[in-house]
Amino acid sequence: MTPLLLLLLLLPQQNDGRLAEHVPAAALPGVHAIITRAAQDSLPTEPLVEKALEGGAKGASPEMIVTAVGAEEARLRNARDLLRRAGAPGPYGTRELQSVSLALARGLPDRIVAEVVGSVKDTTPGFALHAVADLTAHGFGADSSAALIVAALGSGLSGQRLLDVAAAADRELQRGSTRPQALARVRSILPAVPSQPLPPGAMQGATRPKRSP
Amino acid sequence: MIHDLDPRIHGALDGELDRAALTPDERALVERLDAAARALSGTPVVPGLSRRVMGIIRRPLASPVARFRRWLTSPQPVTLSLRPVYSLVIVALAVVLWRGPVPAPMLGAHEGVAQFVARFPEAHSVAVVGAFNDWRPEATPLADDDHDGVWDARVILPAGQHEYMFVVDGERWVSDPLAGRYVDDGFGRQNAVLVVRPVRSE
Repeated sequence: MTPLLLLLLLLPQQNDGRLAEHVPAAALPGVHAIITRAAQDSLPTEPLVEKALEGGAKGASPEMIVTAVGAEEARLRNARDLLRRAGAPGPYGTRELQSVSLALARGLPDRIVAEVVGSVKDTTPGFALHAVADLTAHGFGADSSAALIVAALGSGLSGQRLLDVAAAADRELQRGSTRPQALARVRSILPAVPSQPLPPGAMQGATRPKRSP
Repeated sequence: MIHDLDPRIHGALDGELDRAALTPDERALVERLDAAARALSGTPVVPGLSRRVMGIIRRPLASPVARFRRWLTSPQPVTLSLRPVYSLVIVALAVVLWRGPVPAPMLGAHEGVAQFVARFPEAHSVAVVGAFNDWRPEATPLADDDHDGVWDARVILPAGQHEYMFVVDGERWVSDPLAGRYVDDGFGRQNAVLVVRPVRSE
């Protein structure tokens, strides 16, 4: 219990430097209150700090920043509830919660997210959700998109290879197939969808981004 | 040599001192110098020499620009004197400082490379911002080395999703028109969404 209390006390102080430097002072009390509440409820706080920094960088008003940080907290909470309802084993990491939160933000219905999360075993559902969201962004129906990715999971594909499934369906569309034809064609070749290798020299000159000290 | 001449001899040659006042040795020296002077005055002169010399002397000076250009284009002696120990130090420094081609960075198991490309022909600067650099426009600039208006940067990021925007000329926030994935940012704009694949398979 004592370490948890210490953590709760220290969290706002750790974020103080970054927030105080880049977020309007008028927004800080509201942002701190949300961050403290999220920490008490075992939600990740880093996405909330990032959202406040984003608002500060974009010149948003203090009220808008507090509202956006509060909405981010609500999305994370909703994502965790959805994972629990889908029976995904906890505890849930920041990346996992953000993946679900982003899938919802990209317009996937709760039941579709729950279906995909329930089908992913042993790994985070991030790539599976991205693949479904990519398919729906290309005009495929949410149900048929989820069904294709669940079928890909069943064929043994996982992780980033699921993105290749969505890319293969998109290529079929570009070749003139209708959407049902594209889905059927990709399903028929599972799990042998072509992968997308990193182009030669893609890493040359790559640098790591610098964060605030 | 004339500066080493005895003042008495000098005076006798100039007629300021009576040669009778000289010692026999001094008088003999004066006579030898007289004979040499007479021999020189009989040397035949190169025809037209005076005219050519005077022509050069009287030629108007070239303009400063022309003289500077002539100085630039004419060979100039350059003398480089280096002590051997300094030469060795310079060679050693060159060997140490030259590291050869920049090697590709080492990536972790859960990292990938994102290539950001944007076309902003009129821009003076373009940067990519996201949570990966705390949304700071100065942190990750894009480059347009050939000035064709196409800006790009390769950035090592953790595998997974990343929201980002471009900042043009330090003040204009623009969604990546080529991203294909977008989400509302909560501030009235849309962030582009990028999914970074890990370089190493899971």
